[in-house]
Amino acid sequence: MADKDSATIKRDTSSALRGGPAALTSRQRQVLVRLLRVAYPHDSFPDGPYERTADAVVEATADDRRLAATLGPDLDMLDTICGGDFLGAPDEEATLILREYADEPYFRQIRGVAVVALYDDREVWDLLGYEGPSFDQGGYLHRGFDDLDWLPDPRITEFDGEPRTEMRTPEEDSR
Amino acid sequence: MTTHGKPIPQDEPVVVVIGSGAGGGTVAHELAAQGVKVVVLEAGPYLTADDYTNDEWPAFNQMAWLDMRTTSGSYRVARDFPNLPAWIVKAVGGTTTHWAGATPRFMAHEFAARSTYGEVEGANLLDWPVTLEEMEPWYDRAEKAMGSSHRHGRPPLPANNNYKVFANGAERAGYTYYATGPYATNAEPYDGRPATVQDGFNFQGDKSGAKWSTLVREIPRALESGNAELRPLSQAVRITHGPDGRVDAVEYLDADGNLHRQATRAVCVAGNSIETPRLLLMSDSPSHPDGLANSSGQVGRNYMRHLTGSAYARFEQPVRMYRGETMAGIIADEAVHDPSRGFVGGYYMETLSLGPAFLASFVEPGSWGREFTRLMDAYAHTAGMWLVGEDMPQESNRITLDPDVKDQWGLPAPHVHFDDHPNDIAMRRHAYRAADTIYRAAGALGVHHTPPYPATHNLGSCRMAADPADGPLNGWGQAHDVPNLFVSDGSVMTTGGAANPTLTIVALAMRQADHLCELLRTGEL
Ligand SMILES: Cc1cc2nc3c(=O)[nH]c(=O)nc-3n(C[C@H](O)[C@H](O)[C@H](O)COP(=O)(O)OP(=O)(O)OC[C@H]3O[C@@H](n4cnc5c(N)ncnc54)[C@H](O)[C@@H]3O)c2cc1C
Repeated sequence: MADKDSATIKRDTSSALRGGPAALTSRQRQVLVRLLRVAYPHDSFPDGPYERTADAVVEATADDRRLAATLGPDLDMLDTICGGDFLGAPDEEATLILREYADEPYFRQIRGVAVVALYDDREVWDLLGYEGPSFDQGGYLHRGFDDLDWLPDPRITEFDGEPRTEMRTPEEDSR
Repeated sequence: MTTHGKPIPQDEPVVVVIGSGAGGGTVAHELAAQGVKVVVLEAGPYLTADDYTNDEWPAFNQMAWLDMRTTSGSYRVARDFPNLPAWIVKAVGGTTTHWAGATPRFMAHEFAARSTYGEVEGANLLDWPVTLEEMEPWYDRAEKAMGSSHRHGRPPLPANNNYKVFANGAERAGYTYYATGPYATNAEPYDGRPATVQDGFNFQGDKSGAKWSTLVREIPRALESGNAELRPLSQAVRITHGPDGRVDAVEYLDADGNLHRQATRAVCVAGNSIETPRLLLMSDSPSHPDGLANSSGQVGRNYMRHLTGSAYARFEQPVRMYRGETMAGIIADEAVHDPSRGFVGGYYMETLSLGPAFLASFVEPGSWGREFTRLMDAYAHTAGMWLVGEDMPQESNRITLDPDVKDQWGLPAPHVHFDDHPNDIAMRRHAYRAADTIYRAAGALGVHHTPPYPATHNLGSCRMAADPADGPLNGWGQAHDVPNLFVSDGSVMTTGGAANPTLTIVALAMRQADHLCELLRTGEL
């Protein structure tokens, strides 16, 4: 699960003011989850990671009162543009709509939080095949750090023939 | 305040070292070992292996320098990460706690960039006041201290999966000079430290201690000598000087923001290339109106961050690049000055791996949609490499004090301005193509070119220059204007070279410490 404190890359919050997190209606929250799915489409991901990412987005709005106040209306707007139902719009149409809004501050800020929260999620790690912490299991030393077998084993020592040319000027004939 | 080592009174004039990273930790150790009394001021906390975590974000947030910084310029970092121009560690050990370990040397011609490359328009090239020949014995010492693999009888690290792809591609693409090092992590026990368990978390602090850092070697040894005191959570904010023009004290803030004053005999500033010039600029006085030791006007200028750029390739079969030593793979063939390629200087290619959250944040900042998730879906089948090469020093690439933005202490935040030089852009294009060739030769389905991250290599900004008009420091890293003021970190680099900087920083710091001891012995300081 995404650690709340950890899902923060340094953002420019110099002009922002802390307050409470956005209070979304349940419809707005559903739109947010759908937005995240459309923005970061992974066929193999269940709802859990997107739901938790939505939580992280809502939580992060506490850092920025303006965003906390505008997130709900911005999500409503997606419904409006889709003729009332962003949830029911086909993926392709939903993606096109988001493309139009790619540079809007709200969507940029959502992405800033989501890209960390979604991929810092343990369930997502499993789905992507990332095994994460390893030190307490003895590292990957006996757990496959060198188990790639579809290529021949390469040389690991430095080349022991001619020393490397470090400089070539037009006059010199090289290589 | 918790102190470490032998307590030293604040009114006793000793050598004060500011920063405990590659440069500061080394200079402090060398001085203390030779009987010189040293106080080390370190802005960050004293964290050790037990505190480290095998987890990218918590580790980053635990230790990265996240105080307010601002940026401008045409480089993408200013747009994507406006307050995070650099990835620097704020903790005892400095950035050597998060570094990977690659330790190539600079080449002879890189110490003489101006005379080798000639005039490059828009670049402020200069020859170093030091040559490779003079540096060689110090490089030897630094490699032994750091335990570089492939050197002085140290064995190579084995091939991890990411390296197998990288090296096979290199071989098939016609490259010759590839290996798993030199790399300052133990393949077998050395210097009281164990062999690596290949845990894959190099950038998060090494829990095992197999990786060299000043935290595991120089700092504890300096403290054991009985000649050093380390004060963590102590941020230097001003260096003062007397009427004789010599620095006489360092003022610093403790964790609660209380101001302290440590008397000095000499000062070694080693805060990394953004904080070092910032501190000098904040230490202005009537006789140094533009900042301490800044009669040249060059303090803060010629900031370099290396070429950087990465390539991530997708394969049919699994790679699992995250297993094992992150950067134990180096190709040196392109680290050559060959102007027929359309640029001066050269670059290395080195294996690289990020976990999913870092990869998602950095692989193509701001990107989303299918194109983006395709990259992430391929995670387990991805191989990665980093492109690192010489960038051009430019006067306008510069650290200044932000007139509007303050840090948490109310001090002016450092402002980092950076524009790529056309030479940097041409080299990066060439490097991306080389990465394509290597990965395609190993069977890649696709290769993604990732733009530069926040700088891990921060160089220049207080360059050494034979002529005082060209830079604030002489060839010993000693201020031209102030005889008992030294800079001991990557800021001293006159030009950047292609190689990762830390071996050179350590070698220079060892050399400087010897010189400083000599000056103290002969009573010159
Ligand atoms: C992820 C990562 C990977 C890297 N991999 C490699 C690699 O493979 N090879 C390589 O050569 N290099 C690598 N580097 C770069 C290397 O870590 C740095 O070049 C090197 O540590 C810089 O040394 P320094 O002495 O200039 O500064 P640092 O090591 O950053 O030390 C500076 C210290 O000064 C402290 N400080 C700053 N200002 C003050 C102040 N005012 N008062 C008190 N203390 C202060 C800081 O908190 C810090 O502890 C890597 C860096 C990163 C982040």
